[in-house]
Amino acid sequence: MKKILTSISLLLPTLAAAQNRFPKPDFESGYQYPDISYPVPDETLWVTLDLILLVVLMSIVAWAVIKKRTRKPILWVSVVSVAYFGFYRSGCVCSIGSIQNIALALVDNTYVLPLSVFLFFMLPIVFAFLFGRVFCAGVCPFGALQELVNIKNYRLPKALTAVLGMIPWLYLIFALLYAVTRSSFIICRFDPFIGIFRLGGDLGLIIFGGLLLLAAVFTGRPFCRFICPYGALLSLFSRVSIWKVELTKKPCINCELCHNACPVDAIRAPYDNKVKESRPMGVRRIANYFILLPLIIAVGAFLLQSVSGDLSRVHKDVKLYDLVVQNETDPQDILSVELEAFYGQGGTIEELTQRYNAVQADFRLYAAIAGALIGLVIGLTLINLSLKRSRKQYAIDQAACVACAKCFSYCPQNKIKPTNLIRK
Amino acid sequence: MKKIVLRNILIVSAIFIVAFSIMLITNYFQVRGATPLQTEVVETLKELNDTNANNPALQEQIRQLDLLARKAYFVRMDHLMAGVYILLGMLAVFIICSRFYFARDKDIPDKAIDPIDEWAIKTQARKYVIWGASGLAAVALVFVILSSPYLRPSQTGEQHKETEHVSLAQEDVTYEVIAETPAPVPTETEEDTPAEETLPIAPETETTETPVAEAAPQPAVSKVTHNAFRGNHSNGISSAKSIPVKWDLKSGTNILWRQEIPRKGYNSPVIHGNRVFFSGADEQARELYCYDLNTGEKLWSLAATNIPGSPAQVPKTTEDTGLAASTVATNGNQVCAIFATGDLICADRDGKQLWAKNLGVPENHYGYASSLLIFGNVLIVQYDNQNAPKVAAFDLATGTERWSKNRTEKVTWSSPIIATVGSSPQLVLMGNPAITGYNPNNGEQLWRVECLSGEVASSACSANGIIFGASEYAKLVAINGADGSLLWESTEYLPEVSSPVATKDNLYLATSYGVVASFDTQTGELRKEHELNTEFYSSPVIAEGRIYLFSNDGKMYIFSANDEFNLIDSFETGERTFATPAFTDGKIVVRTEQSIYCVIANGDGVSL
Amino acid sequence: MKQNDENRNSPIARRKFLRIVGSAVAGGSILAVTGGLVYKAKGRQASHYWQIDPQKCTQCGRCETHCVLPVSAVKCIHANKVCGYCDLCGGYYRSNVKELNTAAENLMCPTGAIARKYVEDPYFEYTIDEDLCNGCGKCVKGCSSFGNGSLYLQIKRDLCKDCNECKIATVCASGAITRVPLDFAYKLKD
Repeated sequence: MKKILTSISLLLPTLAAAQNRFPKPDFESGYQYPDISYPVPDETLWVTLDLILLVVLMSIVAWAVIKKRTRKPILWVSVVSVAYFGFYRSGCVCSIGSIQNIALALVDNTYVLPLSVFLFFMLPIVFAFLFGRVFCAGVCPFGALQELVNIKNYRLPKALTAVLGMIPWLYLIFALLYAVTRSSFIICRFDPFIGIFRLGGDLGLIIFGGLLLLAAVFTGRPFCRFICPYGALLSLFSRVSIWKVELTKKPCINCELCHNACPVDAIRAPYDNKVKESRPMGVRRIANYFILLPLIIAVGAFLLQSVSGDLSRVHKDVKLYDLVVQNETDPQDILSVELEAFYGQGGTIEELTQRYNAVQADFRLYAAIAGALIGLVIGLTLINLSLKRSRKQYAIDQAACVACAKCFSYCPQNKIKPTNLIRK
Repeated sequence: MKKIVLRNILIVSAIFIVAFSIMLITNYFQVRGATPLQTEVVETLKELNDTNANNPALQEQIRQLDLLARKAYFVRMDHLMAGVYILLGMLAVFIICSRFYFARDKDIPDKAIDPIDEWAIKTQARKYVIWGASGLAAVALVFVILSSPYLRPSQTGEQHKETEHVSLAQEDVTYEVIAETPAPVPTETEEDTPAEETLPIAPETETTETPVAEAAPQPAVSKVTHNAFRGNHSNGISSAKSIPVKWDLKSGTNILWRQEIPRKGYNSPVIHGNRVFFSGADEQARELYCYDLNTGEKLWSLAATNIPGSPAQVPKTTEDTGLAASTVATNGNQVCAIFATGDLICADRDGKQLWAKNLGVPENHYGYASSLLIFGNVLIVQYDNQNAPKVAAFDLATGTERWSKNRTEKVTWSSPIIATVGSSPQLVLMGNPAITGYNPNNGEQLWRVECLSGEVASSACSANGIIFGASEYAKLVAINGADGSLLWESTEYLPEVSSPVATKDNLYLATSYGVVASFDTQTGELRKEHELNTEFYSSPVIAEGRIYLFSNDGKMYIFSANDEFNLIDSFETGERTFATPAFTDGKIVVRTEQSIYCVIANGDGVSL
Repeated sequence: MKQNDENRNSPIARRKFLRIVGSAVAGGSILAVTGGLVYKAKGRQASHYWQIDPQKCTQCGRCETHCVLPVSAVKCIHANKVCGYCDLCGGYYRSNVKELNTAAENLMCPTGAIARKYVEDPYFEYTIDEDLCNGCGKCVKGCSSFGNGSLYLQIKRDLCKDCNECKIATVCASGAITRVPLDFAYKLKD
């Protein structure tokens, strides 16, 4: 009897749906379906803890740098950050990567930004605006890790670091370009340290991260200085921060001792500005650069827009489109899994072409903007390098300073504390 | 003292870290290529086991290897994690020691690196920035030039054409072979048409120089294939040469071999290379067969069993349709068969099942009968039935559905064909009420002409971009494949089961009441008719300028495929025949009610 | 501009002025971005978690190999209520299987993560041992081409690190992996 029933019911529903080829069994032995549930772990607690810790650690650094003027707490913050944010929480979402989420959320209405990501992005910026880059000092696990392994601080030629210092800006611009075009989060994809924190991952990136750390042993924070796009963003705010990191509260005696202490080359030596070049000539150079600036921007916009087709190849739809077009002109016997999925889902070339064209249009617009921004960065760097500034004392470059507080202990003026005097 | 200890620890841990990292990395590279769970050895052994069951030694070997692979996989996971933890521990030791060791070292000012003159530094930096920026611009410029539209289209455009040409040439080998036919038959018009376009007007073409002709003038294995019902693209045209013109089963004249068919079926044989494929079915089993073309030896058979969704009881079919009315399709590497149970199986040329699925039992009051067709690397199935009529394309390698289009035509017994319109292929399906053209690449509907009614069993045919379709109790129509416009229609003679065949000038069809007629393809005017007083279910096939047509009682009629449309010869073959024969160079394979046999040309077969 | 002119001779005052302007711009931009994002996100659930849409998944096998974790966070999940409890299970057995036993040459799963238990004639219950499953999707392919599709791949929330950019999603052949809000953290079939 059952067999007949089975065969009848087999005949009927098979056509209706490809799934459910077999009917729901009709158990006679009282079999109960096992109760398997898939709980979603409540992350809110952890995320709250993350954010609290973020604020607390940044506050500790701010207090240590601005008020207490000592490095020791920062070192411990670094240890906590590497252990907790780095190894324990495995680093996602981090503030550096959150740039892309913010950019995506600003242009894409379908993407809803989680609050935690927003706070991860905004809190360090707010702190940078108030106290300087206290996030970089030791709260960022990447910076903290580099700081912890650092032994020697060999310095690189300043002219070189000035050029290398442009890379974070370019990286930031490209990251934004790829984020707003929904192509890829390149900051996350090429994150050199996440593999180390997770004890596994892409080998190439782990090796790159290892090499960066090796470099960090001998020179201060190569990642922060020459790669990190979030640092570039923070430097905009720390430049105008309300409370600033100062070498010493007392007058500088120009003893030079602090000059090499800084791991990020943020201490500028006094300079009397006795340039051989005549003033009008300097002014003319600056004026020329200002005139050239729109031209550089235009050239950048033009060049990047011209290569927008190549840039867009990162986008999945573009890759798929290329594959499909290639297959349509020269059909392959064995289809790649992408093509199989595309045809299997009943994708049509028309619809894909539409998507492809939309992506291309996006890229043409945003690549032009990105190119203009790159031009702007280059132009402003040139202008900045043409400015002549005299300085009477050693001073901190607020944009570059990561508030690590290393320099404090080098300054003899800092040692003469009233309490010390009394004890002596 | 403490400092020395620290220093020693530092040195040791540093050496350890470097050595261990190198070990881990090399280990990673060594094992990356060989994931233990996907070792080819086990896979091939398993495949061997599939074809060669009941070999305990082999099975034991598989089990051992499998266990070994799993062990290796999980042990390696553990080892890798252990290694990483050790490395991490040593790193921590190194860092802590170094902090203590270098705790007192201070960075002393070092003026040697940079000139103290800040302006000099800035000047130099400006120079670097300008270099860097120009470098970037140069890279961008290179990209611009490389991807510039002036450079690209000329190159790729040419490649484009070339690949198109090659693919066309490969796909339609038959067309080229047609072109190189030495043309022993009377030629009327001396036309010099390009190879691709000479679709069915083969014998009228002059010998053209093609690379294929130069490379292999007389291959041992005939390149002429008969891949599906009514030949390649199911169009009723074969490019075979030296085809037999006389045979007899009773006396054995010109019969190379004859075999009783294992299970019955009304499907027609197909030929690829030295292999003949067909299927058979009854209540007990549904099977796909492969026979050797030269010896008639059964090479393998594959039963459609263990297919999930396959009905426990076979659907009811009538005696004149049966469970295996659908002809199989092949491309030489894969061969697919479908049965009235909805079971679709695909095997490789050696009979190993590649995939199988049940499409859902087709509700059809006589029995499902549409034949399969292979286009490129997809299998096209016309699945018109009472419940969910559709046409679907399946990936030949995997069986995954590439595309599927629902149809409004309910039960149809007609088969899909590929028509070449211009230079692009069209999939043409008949049904009640419409003849529909689809893009075979994605199933997009190109045109649709509502012109049919009743039970549609006959299939379409095409020539010169025109699609012809006809069905009893409806009409005969000619449709322009380019735009789907109706060129002409006629109701004079209509086929019931047999499908028409066309050349550039003439359309030929055979009715079930014994009339064979030819029409003008341009106007639809009836050109000539033969009253033969018999029944035709088998379809005519044009080969070597002749039309071969079996009547149901097994009489072979051979006509000339030209305007005259003369009956050249007719003779009894000996067995009732409903299937359409398959043609290759020098041979015809015929399936009758009881047997399958191969006819070979004798020496003077060519001259008629 | 006027202010600038006045302060031409006192660079310190000019810098101070510029700094105030800069601070105002910086503070303003913080507030603007915050406001904009809060306005946009208001009343909507944030999409944060990566998940596979089983309807789109084609079991290309990249989940196994491309996850950043040593063993993928993608696991096979079995929907008992969809399962046909077949004896000849397309997910449990290789195709062309000759004998329906637990011998290695007959089984689909490369790690032996599927357990089979007799329930009653002709039904068998299948369960996944998650610790052994590596998310290769072979059984899923078998089940969806021959069976009811009750086996399917999902990203396990307790294992997934929720990378900001899911590495599998970037290589997913069918675009089946997308961000989903917390309420839809699993796309379960039953």
